Amino acid sequence: MALLEISNLQIDFGATRAVDGVSLAIEEGECLCLVGESGCGKSVTALSIARLLATPPARYAGGEILLQGRPVLRLSQRDLARLRGGVVSYVFQDPATSLNPVMRVGAQIRESLQLHRPAHATDAEILRLLRLVGIPAPESRVRDYPHQLSGGMQQRVMIAMALASEPKLLVADEPTTALDVTIQAQIIELLRELQGRLGMSILLITHNLGLVGDLAHRVAVMYAGQIVETGAADELLRRPRHPYTQALIRSVPEIGRERKRLQAIPGTVPSLGNWPSGCRFAPRCPVARPECPTLQPQLLPLSGDRLVRCPFSEA
Amino acid sequence: MALLEVENLRVHFPVKQGLFARTTGQVKAVDNVSFTVGPGEAVGLVGESGCGKTTLGRAVLRLIEPTSGRVAFNGEDIGKLSATELRARRRQFQMIFQDPFGSLNPRMTVSDIIGEALDIHGLAGTREERGHRIRQLLHGVGLEPEYALRYPHEFSGGQRQRIGIARALAVEPKLIVCDEPVSALDVSVQAQVINLLQDLQQERTLAYLFISHDLAVVEHLCRRLLVMYLGRVVEAGEVKGICRAPRHPYTQALISAVPVVDPDSKRQRIVLSGDIPSPIHPPSGCPFHTRCPVAEARCKIEVPALREVSPGRWAACHLVE
Repeated sequence: MALLEISNLQIDFGATRAVDGVSLAIEEGECLCLVGESGCGKSVTALSIARLLATPPARYAGGEILLQGRPVLRLSQRDLARLRGGVVSYVFQDPATSLNPVMRVGAQIRESLQLHRPAHATDAEILRLLRLVGIPAPESRVRDYPHQLSGGMQQRVMIAMALASEPKLLVADEPTTALDVTIQAQIIELLRELQGRLGMSILLITHNLGLVGDLAHRVAVMYAGQIVETGAADELLRRPRHPYTQALIRSVPEIGRERKRLQAIPGTVPSLGNWPSGCRFAPRCPVARPECPTLQPQLLPLSGDRLVRCPFSEA
Repeated sequence: MALLEVENLRVHFPVKQGLFARTTGQVKAVDNVSFTVGPGEAVGLVGESGCGKTTLGRAVLRLIEPTSGRVAFNGEDIGKLSATELRARRRQFQMIFQDPFGSLNPRMTVSDIIGEALDIHGLAGTREERGHRIRQLLHGVGLEPEYALRYPHEFSGGQRQRIGIARALAVEPKLIVCDEPVSALDVSVQAQVINLLQDLQQERTLAYLFISHDLAVVEHLCRRLLVMYLGRVVEAGEVKGICRAPRHPYTQALISAVPVVDPDSKRQRIVLSGDIPSPIHPPSGCPFHTRCPVAEARCKIEVPALREVSPGRWAACHLVE
């Protein structure tokens, strides 16, 4: 049984459907990368795993989320509280606003320990966690306030807090977007190392295709509230099959690749809920056919474990 | 002759502390930087946050007064100009900002935003000519001329950045300082704006000083490159050459840290330890020695000068042969 199984998830905000029929599974010890641009529904999907969306405005309109076999969308508040942190922990994009500014770093980690592993809420365990995430001189850092730390160090503290409860699944929502390139490399390296050492599963949410190959075993690409392609990470990056994934990979400049001109994707990313009718990528698709705006393409198996939402892609 | 010449430019900010805001130190945001930009040439400026790249870009346009050094445009020292003279010269050098949301006045229509630049420099002519020029500019950056009467909030990020570009182009500048012009945009839209900047450069022989943290974008768009670290240029030269064979240890780490999509071209990654030091308390000697994987004893004491290590390639490191 998979650790996390999302099937046909639908989430509405008022009359707009932000997430439309998303299905995902994460095995134990696996890293899945959810890639997409702003407004595609990737963060909303991630937040729904621990039912963290405020309802209203959000409404779980359909589908099922099974975490360790338990139906998240139907759990009582009590069971939910045990699940949050206990089974699934989160690391968010902006560590500066996710940490409590008036609490010392050590105290924030202790809080997480007291909630989930009260027997281990000790100074020694706090120092062990800070050391685990690579914070130098943790003895002096525990008494720091978040503003005394750099962005990279703050993100390490966030990760230490998330790991304090020994979660089965770590959801990292754009964990390096606010960081510099050399610091980003440190954090990705840390996540990879922790995953190997602790054997936990990771759901990495990112808009940066370049981070996928570093960490992910599998990838799911989202566009306009739907998954358009999923498959094994290296295979998908090497041979993308959906026109959106193909166009996205072609549109980013890469060092050492000689190109006169970038192949831009025309138009703009559709805003939340303003999804085009028919195939949602059709208006921007370089290989769209006249019938595409009227089709409702399904996510179908292509070859191996690859699923693609385009009837015209070839194996 | 170079279009833009920057010589020994320094921008130091006072650090004020305490009740009476006494000056207790200095941040050397830009420390002794020299470079040139030729007509129609694109020069990239890369570095991480706090390295002084934005301050340098602004000091070049005299939006920030430099502490010392010389900035010359077409051979004329713009540091010596009066405010009125400077305003007239600004027609030749413009800027495009990072944030397409904060850099357009939300209460002005697109037509007013672009037209204001024309009015200030007396380029508007008659009402019809002004309207015609604005529609022409919008068309030139890939927007519908009918958009002229709309407000910024009606546009997406990519479209707003196009409006910012049209505003900069309105006065027909020779040089545009682009400060992270695509980093706030969605991935699939970035390429559109990069292509637009490239086309405009060729059509109008525009010169760019292109400030970015994204080396891949700079490599694509620019011919020459400056790499900055804590206010200093640590490496400079042809962009292709630097990306192929970086000489300075910082540039090497920076290039190896850039995420790569293609799983078959993964590079050996050099992960730097530690954080970027605070520019208020920069390290002694070479500013990079605290994170440098190959630092030696003398790196802690002696500041390495930027020297030509091979024809056309400059690096500030004791250890580069």
